[in-house]
Amino acid sequence: MKFKSQSISWAFFAAALGLFALQLVYGFIMGFARVGMDGLHEWIPFNVARAVHTNLLVVWLITGFMGAAYWIIPDEADRELWSPKLAWIQFWSLMAVGVTAVIGYHFQWWEGRKFLEIPRALDWLVVANVLTFLFNILMTIWKGRHMTTTASVLFFGLLTAALLYLPGMITFESAVLDSYFRWWVVHLWVEGVWELILGAVLSYLLIKMTGIDREIIEKWLYVIVGLTFLSGILGTGHHYYYTGAPRYWLIVGGVFSALEPLAFLGMAIYAIAMARKGGRDHPNKVAMRWTLGCAVMSFIGAGFLGFAHTLPQVNMWTHGTLVTAMHGHMAFWGAYAMMVLAIIAYAMPQMTGRVRYRGWVAETSFWTTNIGMAGMTGAFAVMGIAQVYLERKSGMDFLDVQEAIEVHSWGLILAASLFAVGALLFIRNFLSYGRPNTEELAA
Amino acid sequence: MLSKSGAKAFFLGGTFLCATAFVLLTLDTLAQFPERSNEENLTEEVIAGWKIWERSNCMGCHTLMGEGAYYAPELTRVIERRGTPWIREFLKDPQKFFPGRRKMIKYDFFDPAVDPEADENLDHILAFFAWIQEVDTNGFPPKPDIVTQQAAAPMPGAASAVDAWAGAPDYFKAVCTGCHAVAGQGGNVGPALDGVATRYERDYLVNWIADPQAVKPGTTMPALGLDPETLEQIVSYLETLK
Ligand code: HEM
Ligand code: HEM
Ligand SMILES: [Fe+2]
Repeated sequence: MKFKSQSISWAFFAAALGLFALQLVYGFIMGFARVGMDGLHEWIPFNVARAVHTNLLVVWLITGFMGAAYWIIPDEADRELWSPKLAWIQFWSLMAVGVTAVIGYHFQWWEGRKFLEIPRALDWLVVANVLTFLFNILMTIWKGRHMTTTASVLFFGLLTAALLYLPGMITFESAVLDSYFRWWVVHLWVEGVWELILGAVLSYLLIKMTGIDREIIEKWLYVIVGLTFLSGILGTGHHYYYTGAPRYWLIVGGVFSALEPLAFLGMAIYAIAMARKGGRDHPNKVAMRWTLGCAVMSFIGAGFLGFAHTLPQVNMWTHGTLVTAMHGHMAFWGAYAMMVLAIIAYAMPQMTGRVRYRGWVAETSFWTTNIGMAGMTGAFAVMGIAQVYLERKSGMDFLDVQEAIEVHSWGLILAASLFAVGALLFIRNFLSYGRPNTEELAA
Repeated sequence: MLSKSGAKAFFLGGTFLCATAFVLLTLDTLAQFPERSNEENLTEEVIAGWKIWERSNCMGCHTLMGEGAYYAPELTRVIERRGTPWIREFLKDPQKFFPGRRKMIKYDFFDPAVDPEADENLDHILAFFAWIQEVDTNGFPPKPDIVTQQAAAPMPGAASAVDAWAGAPDYFKAVCTGCHAVAGQGGNVGPALDGVATRYERDYLVNWIADPQAVKPGTTMPALGLDPETLEQIVSYLETLK
């Protein structure tokens, strides 16, 4: 660790992992409900469990992004964080808002808009919080000694993510309009500006771990984020095929979203090529594995499985079935969850001065989570494809189909259990590092 | 070989072009929405129905225009599929219609026995469904295109059911057949009603339908709160089932 204030990331990482664990609990509640074990229905019905599951996901990822920024930005700018005190205030207020939202969902304090369930009143607090965060980061870059491409792409990604939250806060009278602008947040986040954050964090990790010249890595970073926006912005159209928007979105959305996998493919090739070329054999093999794993799994989950249902001819049948859940899981995992875990795996030894990346815990955690997630994706895929053929294509009743495919929900639960073991191992590994150690620096 | 500044120019240029195109297409889409979504029919009632939809997070289990969750059925064309009378009855106490199967929440604001405004709320949510099913969705949800010989019960009102239920009152076709079959067509929650007239007297049938709980406490059949005229029509129809 170069600067004392970087240690603030620890709080963000710890909170992210805690919320991650809680997210899984709600995943299991839904998994069991799908096989008829819905004993919690009176208190936590499916729609509550779902809102909590997906919102915890988004909150822990964003918490992780912020932790990553508080770690990376001082390092890149080559100075202490502008105001550690402000960062602490921002941390605790973020937690307060997040926890309030999640508790509120249990009492139907929400908006029924998938992924954007946070009530409007809390939205304003989220905005205030994120502005505080961005201001602190911006001041650090501004006052810093360098302004690197990695840092500016990271900042630009975070800033635009904040701006794109706003269209989700407009009030409409028409459900069709509401849906149209909901995608400005949801799609333009995960298939747009979040990819900038992803690209920048990967670039930072590759620069640090492979020892390859920054100029080369950052050049490719530009190419990748260029491809992202070239395809991803108009690719939003793949959500406008069947939701009331004009017909031309079938062509615009189809063509551009079909190009989206290129950015992910680029990311995977770039990470692997840099790792191969890199002369330096970084001792933290586990962090390197998470970094490469993230690049590869995001291509599989977002690029490959996204492409699988993005053409309008296919999406006509798969739209709104469990096929979407298949893709959603692997994409969020590969791209964003693994990215947060990668930066944690990289930063912890430096933050604490301890070496805990050798041994079976760290290693097993990587493989178990990934094999578990592959199994979950497979279970969703089988259920989704069966649902498409039985319900959509041959007109069988919804509930009859769900009962016919119920056994695969047991497959889902089994694979999810493996995944959860891996996640707990990661957390155990994290805890074994202990608290940040700043004495070394002072000395 | 591509230089770093070349790569940067590619990023900025591509982003600018695509973002501009996206904004222009959005403007055109916004101009087309009023017609495609029949904005003139977007009444207070429809909006009130949508508010119920939002407030209850129905999308946390169902999909609408394919958006939402995958735990419960797609609802864009639910009126076409089930008819309004069935939906009305169903929403009052959903689990009664699918006992022992996947549960839907029972909302007190849809139950006239609990909430005096329930009927109004039902009107609103039905108005919302009626509006959304007229939105031009480019053909979604698609019609099944694989013909099968499956024996699954058809939806009330499906073409194959028309002959089987010849002579039945509309209410019977829309609601009762959700649970009961006649001539092999209909639901299987309650017993089939073929030959029901040979098993029960007219008076018994009237009392039964008016208040099943009073006749057989603990039965899963709900009291439907029929007006005398509909009740009369239904019982007369049942009497033909010998
Ligand atoms: C890391 C990037 C990505 C993430 C995290 C992600 C996640 C998701 C999620 C959660 C949904 C469900 C959204 C909802 O219904 O509210 C979704 C839908 C969809 N995604 Fe992605 N996605 C990513 C990238 C991609 C890419 C690159 C493609 C195309 C090549 C793609 C194609 C689609 C399509 C077509 C749908 C709509 C599914 C439907 O009609 O039900 N996604 N994605
Ligand atoms: C214990 C592990 C997990 C289980 C059992 C589980 C189960 C589920 C279930 C049953 C749903 C609802 C699908 C429906 O609407 O019917 C869901 C939704 C979702 N979960 Fe998970 N999940 C788990 C872990 C995860 C993880 C680790 C991630 C992300 C990295 C994730 C991301 C999502 C997303 C994005 C959705 C919304 C998908 C969509 O709308 O298409 N889940 N999950
Ligand atoms: Fe998308």
